[in-house]
Amino acid sequence: MTWLNLHPLTFLVFAPTLLGFVLMALPHSLGKLSRLLGFLGALAIFILSLAWLLGHAPAAGGAILAERAPWFTLVGLPVDYALAVDGLNLWLVLLTTFLVPLTMLGTWNSLKDRLGTFAALFLLLETGMLGALVAQDLFVFYLFWEAMLIPMYFMIGIWGGDERRYAANKFFLYTLSGSLLWLVALLYLANKAGGFNPAVMAQAASALPFGVQGWLFIAFAVAFAIKVPLFPLHTWLPDAHVQAPTAGSVILAGVLLKLGGYGFIRFAIPMFPQAAMHYAKPIALLSVIAIVYGALVAMVQRDIKKLVAYSSVSHMGFVMLGLASMTVIGTQGAMLQMLNHGISTGALFLLVGMLYDRAHTRMIADFGGVAVKMPIFTTFFMIVTLSSIGLPLTNGFVGEFWILNGTFLSGFPWGRLYAILATSGVVLGAVYMLWMFMRVFWGPENKDEDSGTHHLHSDLNAREIAVMLPIVILIVWMGVHPKTFVAASEAPVTALLQEIKAPAPQVFVLKPAVHEAPEIPVSGSPAPEGPAAHEVH
Amino acid sequence: MSLTPSQWAALLPLLIPVFGACVVIFMSLDRDQTTTKWIRGAMYGTALLAVAASFWYLTDLWKAGSQPAFFQLHMDRLAQFTGIFVMVAAALTILQSWDHFHQEGWVKGETLALLLFSAVGMMLFASTTHFVVLFLGLELFSIPLYALVGTVRARPESAEGGMKYFLTGAVASSSFLMGGVLIYGMSGTFDLAAAAATLKTQGLVLDPLVLVGAALMLLGFLFKVSAVPFHQWTPDAYEASPHPIAGFMSVATKGVAFIALLRVFPGSFAPMGAVGVKMQAVVAVLAVATLVLGNLTALVQSNVKRMLAYSSISHAGYLLLGFVAGTPAAYTGVLFYLVIYLAMNMGAFGLLTAFGLVGEHTTFEDLRGLGWKRPAMGFAAAVFMLSLAGIPPLGGFYGKYMIFRELVGTGHVGLAILGVIASLVSAYYYLRLLVALFLQAPSAEAERLASDRPAVHAPLAGAAVLVCAAIVLAGGFLQYALVDGFAKRALIEGLGLIR
Repeated sequence: MTWLNLHPLTFLVFAPTLLGFVLMALPHSLGKLSRLLGFLGALAIFILSLAWLLGHAPAAGGAILAERAPWFTLVGLPVDYALAVDGLNLWLVLLTTFLVPLTMLGTWNSLKDRLGTFAALFLLLETGMLGALVAQDLFVFYLFWEAMLIPMYFMIGIWGGDERRYAANKFFLYTLSGSLLWLVALLYLANKAGGFNPAVMAQAASALPFGVQGWLFIAFAVAFAIKVPLFPLHTWLPDAHVQAPTAGSVILAGVLLKLGGYGFIRFAIPMFPQAAMHYAKPIALLSVIAIVYGALVAMVQRDIKKLVAYSSVSHMGFVMLGLASMTVIGTQGAMLQMLNHGISTGALFLLVGMLYDRAHTRMIADFGGVAVKMPIFTTFFMIVTLSSIGLPLTNGFVGEFWILNGTFLSGFPWGRLYAILATSGVVLGAVYMLWMFMRVFWGPENKDEDSGTHHLHSDLNAREIAVMLPIVILIVWMGVHPKTFVAASEAPVTALLQEIKAPAPQVFVLKPAVHEAPEIPVSGSPAPEGPAAHEVH
Repeated sequence: MSLTPSQWAALLPLLIPVFGACVVIFMSLDRDQTTTKWIRGAMYGTALLAVAASFWYLTDLWKAGSQPAFFQLHMDRLAQFTGIFVMVAAALTILQSWDHFHQEGWVKGETLALLLFSAVGMMLFASTTHFVVLFLGLELFSIPLYALVGTVRARPESAEGGMKYFLTGAVASSSFLMGGVLIYGMSGTFDLAAAAATLKTQGLVLDPLVLVGAALMLLGFLFKVSAVPFHQWTPDAYEASPHPIAGFMSVATKGVAFIALLRVFPGSFAPMGAVGVKMQAVVAVLAVATLVLGNLTALVQSNVKRMLAYSSISHAGYLLLGFVAGTPAAYTGVLFYLVIYLAMNMGAFGLLTAFGLVGEHTTFEDLRGLGWKRPAMGFAAAVFMLSLAGIPPLGGFYGKYMIFRELVGTGHVGLAILGVIASLVSAYYYLRLLVALFLQAPSAEAERLASDRPAVHAPLAGAAVLVCAAIVLAGGFLQYALVDGFAKRALIEGLGLIR
């Protein structure tokens, strides 16, 4: 047990891979056993992560758990095997370990063949995601970031829909293109800094001319923005989401996209603070475009899954807007919105998957009157829909509200305009989700022989309800008491933004009130303009 | 004449395979060699034994360190590195050949003898700075390869490929010879290191004849590594040759040509810095051309062997980028890259044998769905393709990482960006192979062929593939051990480039 006490993170990160290789070696005929073993293993990882991460108080440096050891020195550049869980990644790590077993359970019967291989790839993917989240050395981060592509590629390509090969290749190459250019920037900076330690690299970056810093920031930002995905780099996402099997879509939306936002807050912004400030305005503009554009495109979709995919573009636009606001409340909102989106959109994909497994169609027009046939399903779908459109008392509201608040306070020349435009995205979100809900669930039952509704014979079973219940609990919990989920990141975010704004470039006039704002009443109905307007004037 | 132990040390790694080759030739005089199993087994056993003995002896020497030169033969760490490299390639080739030639129904002893002679020539080529010995080595390894490409005489394309390779190769050899003669004419010595020193003291470094001589020698090397525009023979020769021989050519020829280039250009010609600078500019241009052309042409191939041929051209481009950077760390990266490249390319060609693809049936269509039928081979294929594309955490990534890092460090950021874009393009055609293996159901034609043919039984080729996969994985996780313990020491104690 001493090894485990010293290397808890190594165990959390690599145990799924070990199990994955065991499952891969099992013969095809034991597919069902492999699926069970994979689920139990992922569940054990979740329980362990809860016990270890929530049980430890943060140490002096802010890390809850940390490991650091020299790994190797390759032709002069040292690489540290440095892993840590701290306030910035704590909840994202837990979200990952939570979603993996949940998704396995939720898609238990969705796949018919090669169950063992699927479970194995899923576990390999978990290693990639957890490794990227906890890595504290940029080389290690890069390794996990790239390695993550491989299992996802096969998950989309083997078990996906009709266009799966195209979607898998597009996903792989698109993401790779960003990260390869980023690699060049990484190598450039590592040569200057003599290593891959983010702090040392940040120092080396600050000594470079501003133009070079800008290019390096762009290289980092593009790699992360592709993952987010930020308009106009989002075009891989609809294909990948729609073609991926349900489990792939859930994890893609739930965790992989978050890694883009996490990359910004963990690496791109702290390492190039000046460049980040400089490029915050264009990023905010692109985020606003993503919010409105994603919502408008989602509105006209005929495929429910594609609608949810475009809603992801819109929701992740909020995350980027919050990060670009460079205010504590906006950034905290972005952190929360990442978790929200992981839960709500993950749940939406699971629900769409459950519907598809029964009806074998996802076209909105094929449904109608589902509420009559599947009341329990309809209830869950309603709750998740409301959370997705940001109804107060659900998680979506708090994140979006904080982000809009932060944007309003950001001091951008057109910050308030951005906030107003982004708010229209919230309204549009309600339009496309509720319109879809109306067409699918309400109205007269679609009696057509070929229709989807006709093929719905059973409501959710106990397994599916067991999957949805924790999600509903989280939706309400995060909506009523978001502090549980953002308390950890408050100190590092505040410290980061103070450090960035210390030299105070002339463009930005700091509003002191900004730093006192994270506690926002969530119940009740504060109008967005209320407190914000007060502080600005 | 009696030889001292260190002189034996220099000679034995060369003599053992020669002896083995002679024994195999005598065995292949047996008329029944294609019908009697034991004589075939004895021939392959002898060849494998010779390679293993030489390998074992070389690893022993490696532990002892560099040996003093014997006449013009340097058994230093770099030569030992080359010897180990070539012997591993030869052993993998022999293992794959057993299965491949049985599938083709064309088991002949002379292929083994030719292979061993070629391996000896390669070691000779990479362990000398004397021009005449260098040329001897070049011809000794090239001529058997010309014959090996066309060895399956039953197939007319095979002879065509061999002839093409021979004709272009002969031109390259003669220009290499001409280059050496010019250098000799200007300096009066065949030893290239001494020639460079003489030319420097006489102030003849930038004499047009010296430049032409150096350029012609460079041309010879670039032909062997199949860099653009001297690459046209590659796809035809690979397509014509038996799979294991194509693998051997792609790996060993390229490898030793790079090592000899390293010994001659940054090594022996170090005193002629001005020539080096001019040649580096040429190499930079050709590396770019190689990357662009190799990768773009590989995209549109429908035959796996031709795709691998263009992929091998593009890998010459990455390796040449290491020469553009021209730092000791970059050369370490080149040597490391070669080790991983050996494993991934021998493995990739070995897959064709392991999957039982013979004759012309080497298109992507023929591979459809096979990954699921042979999961271990499929897994290895994924390892090779992702490593060739340079995806971490596999060995191929670290080779590119070291070369690109030195490029960026020496200010060639533009070339590094081009290099990563080339990697991106290459990922597409490597993925195509995985698409065929895993993402597509077997075609009706393939199913029919599979039912017509007896089940594929290629245990030796399969074992060779798994060994290669293990090396690629080890290159990804024990990269520092391989770099510090092997590649870097070969450079330090071979060329004295790093102190």
